[in-house]
Amino acid sequence: MKLKTLGLTLFFLTFINFTVVANPNSSTPTTLNIELTLKQQLGEYHPPYVASWIENSQGKPVRTLLLWREQAKWLKDIRRWWRKVGKKDAELVDGITSATRITGKYPLSFLAENDEKASLKKGKYTLFIEVVRENGGRAIIRQPFSLNGEKSTFTLAATNETDEIKFSVTP
Amino acid sequence: MKLKKLIALTLTCAISTQAFAHSRWILPTHFNLSAENGEWIMVDITASNETFNVDKAMGADLVKIMTPDGKTSRPSSTFKGHRKSVADYFLKESGTYKITNNSNAAYMTTYEIDGDRKRLSANKADRGGKLPKNAKAVQTSYRYSRVESYVTMNTPSNNFKTDGKLLELVPVTHPSDIAENEKVTFAFLFNGKAQKNVSVEITADGVRYRNDPKTLKLLSDAKGEITFTPQHAGRYLLVAEHEENTPKSALADKQMGSVFLTFEAQLN
Repeated sequence: MKLKTLGLTLFFLTFINFTVVANPNSSTPTTLNIELTLKQQLGEYHPPYVASWIENSQGKPVRTLLLWREQAKWLKDIRRWWRKVGKKDAELVDGITSATRITGKYPLSFLAENDEKASLKKGKYTLFIEVVRENGGRAIIRQPFSLNGEKSTFTLAATNETDEIKFSVTP
Repeated sequence: MKLKKLIALTLTCAISTQAFAHSRWILPTHFNLSAENGEWIMVDITASNETFNVDKAMGADLVKIMTPDGKTSRPSSTFKGHRKSVADYFLKESGTYKITNNSNAAYMTTYEIDGDRKRLSANKADRGGKLPKNAKAVQTSYRYSRVESYVTMNTPSNNFKTDGKLLELVPVTHPSDIAENEKVTFAFLFNGKAQKNVSVEITADGVRYRNDPKTLKLLSDAKGEITFTPQHAGRYLLVAEHEENTPKSALADKQMGSVFLTFEAQLN
């Protein structure tokens, strides 16, 4: 009987804790939507290595959103991401790695949180998308945005490696 | 006011330039690596005033590698050609490696005879018997040159141990963090102490293919530091020199230290 009560209490405590952690301000966290496009290429084609991340107004990386890659030895070619993030955090690299993708459109959605899963504070940030392809080129896209409770939408101009990318910030 | 300062600085630079000797440098195949099970690098070793085209081979016998765990290692193999030597080395552990091809510290006596400048391997105490009778402008210097570069595999480490011998460069900005259009700071020590007015020249790769070498000339400040911003991604050679008169020394009239650092500014 006592054990049952304890179990029940623990169950509720867990539930309450979970609620508190996931929703600190009892408001829904901002969503970042990226419709990433990898451009159609002619000739020899190796799927590109791609990283996307967020830096704060001081240029400090606060969140890596995605890393599409194969072999570790080419990670260094995602130059800015490797210099700012990858080389310093092997665990993060392992945690977010997924396989490379071929040409196409990839709708992606992220919560505006840092690498530790805490909501990003209000303020100015920059979204980075870096694309590097063997025997191809490198593209780096920078899009400043604000977390201020308002919705904003951006169209990121095409590069040699990407078609137009839609990016929206939805509180 | 500003103009005055600029002129003064330019003049100082113009004078100090004459001190710069033949450049020596090492050039690793990579400055930054990512790897799961280690990586090979190769290093070119040459004496050349053309950044970064090789000219005269320097031996690789003095090449040392300071590993991230603080040990001193040697290349696994080397080859000496007429224009350059090459060294092969396997990076096993993550961290920052310092590769050097430092000269042995030595005394050198220079003098003039019939208008020609000559050099003699002798110190102040034993030069007497070796100099011709009519030698003029005799001066003995104690010299030490450092030829160095940093290579980082995965997570960087601060492999910046100093030994207090003549001129040394201590990175304030980590070499693996250097990128185009971002400020870089290096500090200089002379005999272990922060040294101001060290003459520094920084030249980007590819001088063969441009008319103006576009060498950046700087002097270290009161803290012994220089700060500059590489305009383009690429490889750079930094040449730093400093000398001090040593009136109390029985062996030399002056001490001269130089540093030849090769580094990479990454794409941003």
